[in-house]
Parts: sequence; structure tokens; C-alpha cells
Amino acid sequence: MTSRSPFTARRILPRRVLAAAGLLTGLAALTGCTAAPVPEPSDSREPTASAYPLTIDNCGTELTIEKAPERVLTIKSTSTEMMLALGLEDRLIGHAFPDGPIPDELGGEDVPVISDKVPGQEAVLTLEPDFIFAGWESNFSADGAGDRDSLAELGVNTYVSPAACQSAEKPAELRFEDVFDQIAEVGSIFGADEEATALIAEQRTALGELTAAAGTTALWYSSGSDTPFVGAGAGAPQMIMDAIGIENIAAGVNESWTSFNWEAVVDANPDVIILVESDWGTAEKKIGVLRSNPATAKLDAVVNERFITVPFAATEAGVRNVEAAQIIAEQLEALGL
Amino acid sequence: MTATMTTRPAEAASARRERRRVPTVVLVLVLSGILLLSIVLSVTLGPADIRPAEVWGSLLGHLGFDPTLLGGDVLSPLRDGIIWELRMPRILTAAAVGAGLALSGTVMQAITRNPLADPYLLGLSSGASLGAVAVILLSVGVLLPVAAFAGAIVALLATLLLAGAAGALTPTRTVLAGLAVSSFLGALTSLVIFWSATGDTYREILSWLLGSLSGARWPAVAIALGALLLVGIPLMLTGRTLDAFAFGDNAASALGVGVNSTRWLLLSATALLTGAMVSVSGSIGFVGLILPHAVRLVAGQRNRVVLPLSALAGAIFLIWIDTGARTLFDPRELPVGILTAVVGAPVFALLLLKARRIR
Amino acid sequence: MTTTNPSADIVDALSAPGQDSLSASRLTFTREGKLVIDGVDVSLPVGSFGAVIGPNGAGKSTLLQLLVGTLPADSGAVLFDGDDLLAMKRRDRARLVALSEQHGDGDTGLLVTDVVLLGRTPHIPRWASEGPADRRVVADALTAVGMTEFSNRPFDTLSGGERQRVQLARALAQEPRLLLLDEPTNHLDVRAQLSLLSLVRAQTAAGLTALAALHDLNIAAAYADSVIVLKAGAVVAAGPAASVLTGDLISDVYGVRADVLEHPRTGRPLIAFDTT
Repeated sequence: MTSRSPFTARRILPRRVLAAAGLLTGLAALTGCTAAPVPEPSDSREPTASAYPLTIDNCGTELTIEKAPERVLTIKSTSTEMMLALGLEDRLIGHAFPDGPIPDELGGEDVPVISDKVPGQEAVLTLEPDFIFAGWESNFSADGAGDRDSLAELGVNTYVSPAACQSAEKPAELRFEDVFDQIAEVGSIFGADEEATALIAEQRTALGELTAAAGTTALWYSSGSDTPFVGAGAGAPQMIMDAIGIENIAAGVNESWTSFNWEAVVDANPDVIILVESDWGTAEKKIGVLRSNPATAKLDAVVNERFITVPFAATEAGVRNVEAAQIIAEQLEALGL
Repeated sequence: MTATMTTRPAEAASARRERRRVPTVVLVLVLSGILLLSIVLSVTLGPADIRPAEVWGSLLGHLGFDPTLLGGDVLSPLRDGIIWELRMPRILTAAAVGAGLALSGTVMQAITRNPLADPYLLGLSSGASLGAVAVILLSVGVLLPVAAFAGAIVALLATLLLAGAAGALTPTRTVLAGLAVSSFLGALTSLVIFWSATGDTYREILSWLLGSLSGARWPAVAIALGALLLVGIPLMLTGRTLDAFAFGDNAASALGVGVNSTRWLLLSATALLTGAMVSVSGSIGFVGLILPHAVRLVAGQRNRVVLPLSALAGAIFLIWIDTGARTLFDPRELPVGILTAVVGAPVFALLLLKARRIR
Repeated sequence: MTTTNPSADIVDALSAPGQDSLSASRLTFTREGKLVIDGVDVSLPVGSFGAVIGPNGAGKSTLLQLLVGTLPADSGAVLFDGDDLLAMKRRDRARLVALSEQHGDGDTGLLVTDVVLLGRTPHIPRWASEGPADRRVVADALTAVGMTEFSNRPFDTLSGGERQRVQLARALAQEPRLLLLDEPTNHLDVRAQLSLLSLVRAQTAAGLTALAALHDLNIAAAYADSVIVLKAGAVVAAGPAASVLTGDLISDVYGVRADVLEHPRTGRPLIAFDTT
């Protein structure tokens, strides 16, 4: 990869040229080339329409967007929330497999939930979407919403949150710049560059205002009871903890999340435990697990009830990661740390 | 029969076909020693860096002695918890589960006269899995071990009823009925998973289906050791009866063994034992299959020798495999069933090549 | 199991009335709706060697199984020395009656001593180990069949004749008073056949009562004191070999023509089949 900076390129080159080099740009956006400055809102923008056709490499699948998609189905909360945050509610024909309630400020009350789980191919096709935006790569499988190639043949474009890529390149270590890149990419797909730019600027400001809690150690306890599943060193949990200056006790594992070991948790004796709240695994249940295990019951954080709760949907790469960082910072402050 | 016993030295020609056996007592003593050593060594191994002196101190303290005796160290409550609440119960559970599964495997293989028989033969594992998965996913209000055990027993009854309804309860028919029940319960388990698994619960279920000892605490030790003492020890003493089956049911019956009553008594006992083990560890494969064969290679085929040796070997095997699961990818955990399969399948293939007896 | 009074009906099957050790009466057995054993009476004096003969499917093995109790008779009675064998506990019965079967496809992995030690099963308490007395019995049994030097050989490596002798030793280790042998000479060469049956005869000479299901009429004629002839599950003749084995009977039961001669040395019947 030679181009380190797709956004710089975008500023200099006319959009058509840019579109021709779309593959390159897309790849760059996906492979952790994140040092690039994000275009300023004041940056000279051409009319949205001129961006099409847009070619993107998404998780190893090449997409050609002829025009801004109008009938969009989202799978999982991160994709739904990103659409709403970019003001694209009117494009949504439905969303599926939500991880939890959508925050009120994002709206979306009128978007129908078409399935609690990953919907099947026929259920998806009946809705006649022209674009499906999924939070996990595995949502696109023959026994899920359909595999990407077959959907493409039917004229349905598919898009996966780049941070969740498994089959192709994903950021070696997720950073907020990668999240912002994705916001920008989704913005360009839907011709909502301005909204994207504004959102990114807003989030960047919020990040800058976070108070650091340097020296605090934490366990990011996502799920599991016998074997804890925890936020590790390379994904959204680490990125969020880094933003606040928290030290992750599982940072040594080069994954986004990992199966961990209670012994290692007890050995590390973290200052706080961050509990991920979801419909299927409440924070309360996790506290119960921690208390019922005689070894973890003696952890300082458990004894002193230093628990922090974050909603699951905010812990996967997306528009709510900054919010998650804010929540944690606030609760840390409340705990006096 | 008045001839006096005079053991003549074997002729040179037949000497090379003779098999010299290591005395059973020696084997039992050696394996018991290795088992003890394995427990002591494995408790010092783990993701947390704890010195042997600390381990010694912790053990002494909990056994009511002065922790500083013989150079023991006093630990912080947290580090002490790692040894006494996490490692010790887990290692003891591993030993009991390994012994129980190997015992069940030996009995199953002898009684069905099928070298491929294993403790999960009669649908036990799939029944237990269904019970456990139902608890994990549907939040049924019972404890997981209870549900797993109930599932195992229900599966066993279904197998026996099905085999009985199809005619006389022959080993072959019973095994086939077990296969049918296993497939059906397996499908139900998949259905429950497919229907209700959300997000990360898949991972928890997978770890349970593959078998894992990461949740083993003292209550698990009580269940596994209790089952081993109550059911396993009596089973260990049935070797002579099992040996009587060497030439088939008829021969056993002519030797005064109640063939049917013995078979059902022993099958029920192994079901009980396996059910208890599965309830604390999930279904850990290969232990019950390969350990008895490995022991037979060394100690011959007499069940009254193979039974206690298999139990000891199973305990040692699972302790070390689980130590591997805890430490190989430190601080990550591996479901122990993955390791037993990774180690067990090649060993099984090796045994197959070595023991031409398995036809 | 109901015990009917046997005395009236078995008289004609007796060869030496009054000294019976084994007397079975009106045994019947049905397998899958088919009458396999049809009112069979058996009677053997103490220390005699009886032979059950008859074509394939006549019920020879089934009869032995009924006598040893491994198959449950539908009706009839089996008395041994006045004791009701069928009413006895299985374990007690196994100390009185032993069955030696043919096991060609050895797949046991046991050593010869282990196999013979199996014969001690009904004598050793269930939860105990064998004692020196048991080991002595095993050694004696091996000596009796001339297999002492094979003690530590894997059973599966033996020849057919050797295996059969070990099975005999296993049965002898039960210290039975009645020995049942199911086709003990099948697949054996002539020498092995003769040596095995000589061993059995040596045991009957010492007081053991033996009953063997046999295929070979000449073997039966040469060794058995009395012969029971089965056809389709029923007794067609019984008594001393010399009086039972006639050309007519052989023609009737086996459907082949034969002349019954006298053995030039032993004086026993010698059957010469008409193969023209």
C-alpha cells in the first residue's frame, strides 16, 4: 500500500478520477492507513451526485455503487445506528438482529425490526433492498441473509463494518481514526459526506474532552461464566480504554475479544471491571458470576463494587464508541478514580 | 485331577511367544505415584506466576497446618484463591472425570464386546448436552449439572426403551438404539441453539459441547469424586465378572454369571458415572475410548487389571491435558475437549496400527 | 420352572437304570415359534461318556444349552444326582456343570492361564481375588490336558487343537461333576480329535460324567458309552452305541446308506458309508 492518505487524495483529485481509483482508495481506507487528516467541513465539496459510480473494496468484496442506495436493510445495531447518526433514517426499510435498544437521540422508532436474529435470504429479498449493511461478516452467509456474491448477482449491494472483517484485511489495531474512516466511507456511499464530516468532527471534539484516568487497570468483561470472554488488545474495547488512558489487563492478546482465564484475572486484580450490558447477558448476571466464584469474589473491584456498565451496541466499532468512552469516564469519576 | 503342579520351564521354541507381564501391583503403585506427582506438579503451573513455596504454603494452610512449615510461604488472599479456589478443584475434578470416563469406557468395551465403545455410546453425551444447552439458553431454573445429569439419564432410558421395543436387548441393538437417540437429541440441541442463541452465548455453548473444566470449583469436585467413589470403585471390582464375558454371553452364563442382570446393572452404573462426569465437565471425548486400549497394550486384557489401571491412567491423562488447556495459550483458555481430540485421535490411530487385535 | 415327575417316561432312554447321575425329562424349547427341542429325555449314569448325534439343526447344541441352563427350557426337568439343576442358583449350578464350547475366532487377548482361571469364576467370591487353592486347580487342569508349558502364551496364538484343550482345562477348573462339550472336535485334525477325546475319557474314568455333541459318527462310536440320536429336536434312539448305530437308523436320520462293521481292534461299531 503506497497511498497512506485517501482523504488527502480526495481533496486534490476531481471526484471522477477518484472514483476510477476507487479500489485503491477503498483498500487504503480499510487497512489501517489512519494517520490521514479528516477533511474539514469547510473543505471544498463537489455535489454529492458526482461521486458515483463509487467503487469500494469492502472485506475483500468489490462494490460498485451507481447511485446512493435507497432501500437499505441493516443487520445488527452498529450498522443501524450509523445510518441513523448520519441522518439516513429515510433510507432504512428495516433492521434486524438488534443487540439492544436504539438510543432515543438517534431516533429510528419507525424503522421496522424485521427479525430478532439474522434474517433468512427469502425474508431479505421480499423486502427488495438495494443495499444491505451488516455489522458482522458472518451475517452474510447462505444460512443467513445470503452470501455476498449471490446477493450481488441479484443487484443487492452488501457492506460489512470494516472493523469486523475476518476474511480480508482488517486494522491490525483498531483506532478511532479507523472508525472515523468508516463513517466517512458510509457517508460517501450514501452521498452524506457533509453529515459524516460533521459527525466525525463532533466525535473528535468529544474525544479530546475526555479526562484521562491514567494508571487505572481494568477487565473488560463481555460475556461467559466458566471461561470469561473479554475485550483484548486489538479491538474496540482496547481503543475505548486507550481513549481514557485505562490499562487493559488482557491487552497482551492480539485480538479484538478473547477467551480469557479467571486465574489470569485474579492474578492481575484489576482496579475496575467493565461489564457489557446486553439483552442476553446483563451486567447483573456478570456480577453474580464474579461473586459466586470464590476466587473472583476476593478481587478488589468485586469487594469494593467498582463496576462500570456499558451497553453492548456501543462496544463494537461504530458511532457509539465515543459515547462508550464518555460513559466509562463518567462512571470512573463517580467511583472516585 | 490329582496331578501335582509342576511348572516346567517353557521350551525354547515357545518362549519367544510367551508374554512376560509386569506384576499388577507394581503397575498400580507406579501409576498411583505418577498421579500424585501430577497433582502436585500441575498445581504449580498456570497463567499466574506462583512459586512452589507459595503453593505449598496455601495447601498447608487449607489442610489446617502452619503454612510456614517446611519452607511454605504465606500468600495474599487473592493468590491463595488462585491455588485453592481455581487450580486445586480443577485439577481434582480433572482427575476424577478422567478416571470415571476411562472406567466407563473399559466397562462399555468389555460388556458390548466392541472395542470402539465409549462412555457416550448410549446417547449419554447428547442427552447431557441437551440438558446443559437448555439451561444455558432457555434460562431454565435448574442448575446446569442437574440438567445435564437428568438429560443423560433420560437419554439412557430412551435408548433402552427403544432397544427393548425392537426386540431382545442385544448389545448391537442397544448400540444402534443409542445412535438413533444420539442423533435425535443432537438435532434437538442444534434446534435449541439455533432458535435461542444470541451473541456470545454461542461461545459458552461451544465450550460446553467440546468439554471444558474451566468452571470446576469445589462443588464439581464433590460431584465427580463422589460419583467416582460411590459408583466407580464398585465398578472397578467387577473385573472378574467382565472377564467371564471373554468368550461370549453363553460362556459367561455357563460360568454362573447372570448375563442380562449383570449387563444392565453395569450399563446403568456406567451411565450414572458418565452422567455425573458430563454434568461437571461437558462431554470430553477420547478419554474413555483410548485410555483402556493403551492400558491393555501394556497390561494385557484382563479387565480386573485393566479397570484400576485405566482409572489411574485416565486421571493422569486428563490432569495433564487440562493443564495444557490452561497454560498452552496463556492467558487464553482452550476447551479441554479440543486437546483430548487433538491428542486422542492420533493416539487412537496409533493404537489401531499397533494392536492388530482390533478388527 | 415346573418340575414334573420324570421317572415314568425316561426308562427307555436309560442305558444303566438305577445309577443315573444326569436325567432330563420332557425338555422342550421353542425359538421364534418353532419347536426346536421336542420332549427330549436324557439319561446318563455316573462316570459315563454320552454322545449326542444328529444332523445339522437337529438341536444338539440347544439341548446342551438347556442342560447347562444358558437357555431356559419351556418345560421339562433336569436332575443331577437328585438335585433339580434348573431350580438351582446359576452360580451353584456352575460349580456342578461345565460347558466347553468351540472358539475358533479367538479375540480375547488373554493368556492361557487367564482363560483357565475363568473356570474358577463360580468358586471365587464376587469381590475377592483368586487364592493359592484356585491357582493350584488351574495348574492341575493345565497338567491334565498337557498344556502346562503353554501357560503364559496368548490364547489367540494357539492352534485349534490347543485351544480346544485349553477350553477343556477351563471347564475342568470349574471342578464340575457333569461336563458338557459342544462339538469339541470340529475343525481339528485326526490326531487332535483323538487326543482330546482320550482326555475326556480319562476324566470320565475318574468319575466325571460327560456328554458331548458330536458330528463324526465314528468318533462317537469309538468313544461314547451311550448315544442319543436327535432328529428335528426329538430323540429317535438312545442307548449303547453298538445297539443304536445301525444302518437303518443312519439311513433314517442322515439319509445316507452305510454299513456298520465291527472295529477289528476295539470291537466297537465302525461305520462305512456307501459312497458309490
